[in-house]
This record gives sequence, structure tokens and C-alpha cells, in this order.
Amino acid sequence: MERSKISVRNLELSYGAARALKNVSMEIRGCAVTALIGPSGCGKSTFLKCINRMNDFVEGVRIRGSVFLDGEDIYDRRVDTTLLRKKVGMVFQQPNPFPMSIYDNIAYGPRLHGIRGRQELDGIVEEALKGAAIFEETKDRLKKSALGLSGGQQQRLCIARALAVRPEVLLMDEPTSALDPVSTRKVEELIRNLKKKYTVVIVTHNMQQAARVCDDAAFFLAGEMVESGPGDVLFSRPKDRRTRDYVAGRFG
Amino acid sequence: MVDETTLYHKRKRPAEAFLLSAVYGAASMSVILLAGMVGYVFFKGAGTVSWSFLTTAASVLQKTSGIGGNLVNTLYIAVLTLLAAVPVGVGAAVYLNEYAKPGKLVRLVEFTTETLSGIPSVIFGLFGMVFFGETLGLGYSLLAGAFTLSLMVLPLIVRNTQEALRTVPDSYRMGALGLGASRFYMIRTILLPSAMPGILTGLILAAGRIVGESAALLFTAGSGSRLPKPGAGASDTIRRLWEKAHESGGTLAVELYLQMQNGRYETAFGIGCVLIGIVLCINLLLKLGADRLGNKA
Ligand SMILES: Nc1ncnc2c1ncn2[C@@H]1O[C@H](COP(=O)(O)OP(=O)(O)O)[C@@H](O)[C@H]1O
Ligand SMILES: [Mg+2]
Repeated sequence: MERSKISVRNLELSYGAARALKNVSMEIRGCAVTALIGPSGCGKSTFLKCINRMNDFVEGVRIRGSVFLDGEDIYDRRVDTTLLRKKVGMVFQQPNPFPMSIYDNIAYGPRLHGIRGRQELDGIVEEALKGAAIFEETKDRLKKSALGLSGGQQQRLCIARALAVRPEVLLMDEPTSALDPVSTRKVEELIRNLKKKYTVVIVTHNMQQAARVCDDAAFFLAGEMVESGPGDVLFSRPKDRRTRDYVAGRFG
Repeated sequence: MVDETTLYHKRKRPAEAFLLSAVYGAASMSVILLAGMVGYVFFKGAGTVSWSFLTTAASVLQKTSGIGGNLVNTLYIAVLTLLAAVPVGVGAAVYLNEYAKPGKLVRLVEFTTETLSGIPSVIFGLFGMVFFGETLGLGYSLLAGAFTLSLMVLPLIVRNTQEALRTVPDSYRMGALGLGASRFYMIRTILLPSAMPGILTGLILAAGRIVGESAALLFTAGSGSRLPKPGAGASDTIRRLWEKAHESGGTLAVELYLQMQNGRYETAFGIGCVLIGIVLCINLLLKLGADRLGNKA
């Protein structure tokens, strides 16, 4: 078996006294889409945020275990979180463009990481917008506020913003739950394309969506990772009864 | 029994009509009183206001009775005060909102700033005179006055900045942090620009209070009214500006107080006109700025 891009070992997380992740271990392949499924409140978002340490900002959170990215433990004390989050980007449930121009939104990350040259930035912005399949719609209004875009466009803009720092991994937390069906299709298509260059981990509560976009899948329940493996196996012939019940109920 | 075949049964409600007229009466009364007072001040003082009144300093030798020196002092105090209070106030608000863990300490600091804004200004004057004037040896000087006023307007700036920071959605913060921004970078590039309208509101409200303040300044900045002499060259000008900050100087409001005390009501009303004019301008600025920024977002 090829070496995993991300490997999670015995991850435990609690918010104060409440345990949110219980001894989670799993492998995530590179250049593939991994879908995390499970009922709401089971810890999918929490798990996702562990992969780029966004949980560091939560008051009273305690984390044990390790998450290896290319063999390096991201919870090691020597880790520079800025560098980590440059490698592991994140797209949120609600599109959250900054209140500035489309161009400045995309250039925010590169500027943050020290790129100042006008031409270089222009190139990165164009590349990122193309990568997120939103270049054609925005190329004539780069200087206009990003808040004027539709919800679906805003979400693709946020994906472009994440791509602009040239990450290796892209974490997406229910990226289409705030979007209409047409925008959802576009974003799903985009996700399938992204895996050529990026490792994508996506949380979704929509089983059909998971089946459409993923290569691998993992089923979470009450803070535990119940079962993981190739998506088609997990959806059609799950090993665990709890997975089978959940999948059967969801596909209806 | 009411005839139910028609809707035309609207009843007269005398109590409601009475209350309505009482409310209208109270509203128009307050407008008329205010407008009347402002009108009266202008009526009595407009004749005094002239170009030379605004640009010369009072001098027995040259037989001038202008307020130019006080005008300059007012500007001086306003700028110095804001220079001291805005960075500290904005910094405190950012700390309270973004860094401090919510808890007893934060509530204590917030309670203190609230209380600070209710303290009579003359007490700031007393403290400023003893602390800045005597302990720090600034004497009666524009600098001592400005420091005193910075304490006084600090709550205004802290509160307005905090309100503004609270309205910035968390998703902006997470978006920036998720791209790898440090907290400080995120605050500088996302939060402060988004909170700018609130910060400006606090700044302009503070300017209004500074211009109108007399009790806190009388015994800290004193009552000098000399006009500064223009310096020769840039470095000389800077040196003079710095020296002037250590001299005593009365603002318009302080001068108005002193003129009243001496029974010179004509000059007092003249200064009153100028002060009202300045305050009107500040409020217009506030309104214009709020509209402009409100439209942009
Ligand atoms: N910031 C937080 N503080 C306290 N508890 C939290 C926090 N975020 C999530 N939780 C709790 O952790 C559990 C898992 O939440 P989450 O990861 O958001 O689930 P999911 O994304 O699968 O719906 C839930 O019980 C939730 O209430
Ligand atoms: Mg979630």
C-alpha cells in the first residue's frame, strides 16, 4: 500500500469535560477525495479541524494522540502553525469572503506569506480563480467587492482563496450545505477535479453527494470512527452493522 | 349591540388623542427650546465674530481682543488628546475583545471604563493637576491638559471600538486564521478595517467632548492665549510645536468661562457662536462619515 498523506493515530479530543473524539485512527490517501459522513454532532467538524489545528483557537480544548502529515506530527511542539495551515487549507460551511475586493480576497493568503510583487500576485490570482472554476465569471470585476457575488460564487471564491496559497491538502466542512442545487453541482464537479493535484477531505451529511465525489469514505458515530475504506465498499457492503443501518437509512 | 353589516364604526379614543398631543407637544417643546437657545447665542454673539476676532490674540498693548490663540490651543489639545487616547483605547478594546479570556477580569475592566465615563470632569481636572501637573512636573501645559482629557475620553473610544469589533462576524476571523494568519495579522488586516467606522465614531465623539470641556482643563492646561509664532524651516517649526506643548494654553471653552467670570458677555457670546459652529461641524462630519462608510460596506 502507498504511504498515506495524512495518518491519524489514537486521536482523542475533549471540549472541557465533553469528549468529542474517542481514539480515532485513520489513514487518508494523497490525491484522493475522502468523505467524512455521520449524523450531526458526531464529531466530523471537530475531526476536520484537528487536521490543520483550527481547534487551537477553541477555549478549553484538550487533544491527545497524533496527526501525521507526510510523516511529521503536526502536534509536535516545533510545528509552525502558519506553515501547517499554508499546506492544509480550509473551506468553511458558510461562504466567508472578506469584505474587500475579489482580487484582494484571493491575494490575502499569498500576501500573508510574503508575496508582494504585483505581477506575481496577478498570476497567482488568475491561476487560483481558474482552479476554482470562477475566473470567467469574475475576470471583469476583480476590483469589485466580493460580497456582491452570489452564494455559490462566494463559495468557489473561498475555494480559490484557499488554493491561492498552493496548499497540498484541502479541508472542506459541508461546503455546499448553504448552496442551491446548481451551485452545488458546480462545486462537486470542482471537487472531483481538485483531487488531481490536492488531497481533499470533505465533510458532508448528504450521502448522495458523498457517493458522487469521494474515493474513500469514513463513517463517524458519537465521536468514534466506526469504519473507513473505499467509498463504494462502504456504501454498498459496509462491514459494521451501525454503518449499514446509517447508510441504509440515508439512501432510503 | 353594534350593527355588524358595516365596518364604519371607528370610535373616538379621547385618551389616545390626548397622549398623542402630549407626546407631540413634548417633542416640539424640546426642539424649540434648543433651537431658541442656539438662536439666542447667535443673535447675541454673531456681531462679535469677525476675521480679526478669529485670528488675533487678546493683547492690551495692541488693543486686540481676539481668540486666535484659543482656537489654536483647542486644535492643539484635540490633536494631542486623540494622539494619546486613540492608540491606547483601540489597543485596549482589541485586547478585551480578541485576546482576553472572557471572565472576571474583562468584566472588571469593562465596568471600570463604564464608571470612568460617568465621573464628573472636574474630578479628572483635579487628578490631572496633581498627577500630570505636579507629580510628572508638566505644570500648567497643553500636554498636561491633553493627558487629562485622554483619560476622560478613553471610555468613549474603548466602547465604540469594542462595539465595532463585536459586529465583525467570526467567520472573517476563522477565514484569515485558516489561511495561516497570526492573530495579530488578522486583526491588522481584517478586524481593524472592518471596525473603522466604529473607531471613527468614537474619535469624533471624543473630539466633541474635548472641544466642549472646561472644568478638566482650567487647572491642567491653564488659560494662556498667545498665538504661536511660525518657525523658520521644518526643524525649527517642530521644535516650536514641541515647546508650545509645554506652555499653558486655554481652549475656547476655558476662555469662554473666564470671559463670563469677568462679565465680558459680548466676547463670551462670540466664543459661544464659534463653539456651537465647531460642534455642528463635528456632528455633520460624524453623520456624513457614517453614511459614507455605511454605504460602502
Ligand atoms: N467549540 C465547542 N465547544 C464545546 N463543544 C463543542 C464545540 N464544538 C463542537 N462541540 C461538541 O462536540 C461534538 C461534535 O461536534 P461537531 O464536530 O461539530 O459535530 P459534526 O460536525 O459531526 O456535526 C458535539 O457534541 C458538539 O456539541
Ligand atoms: Mg459540523
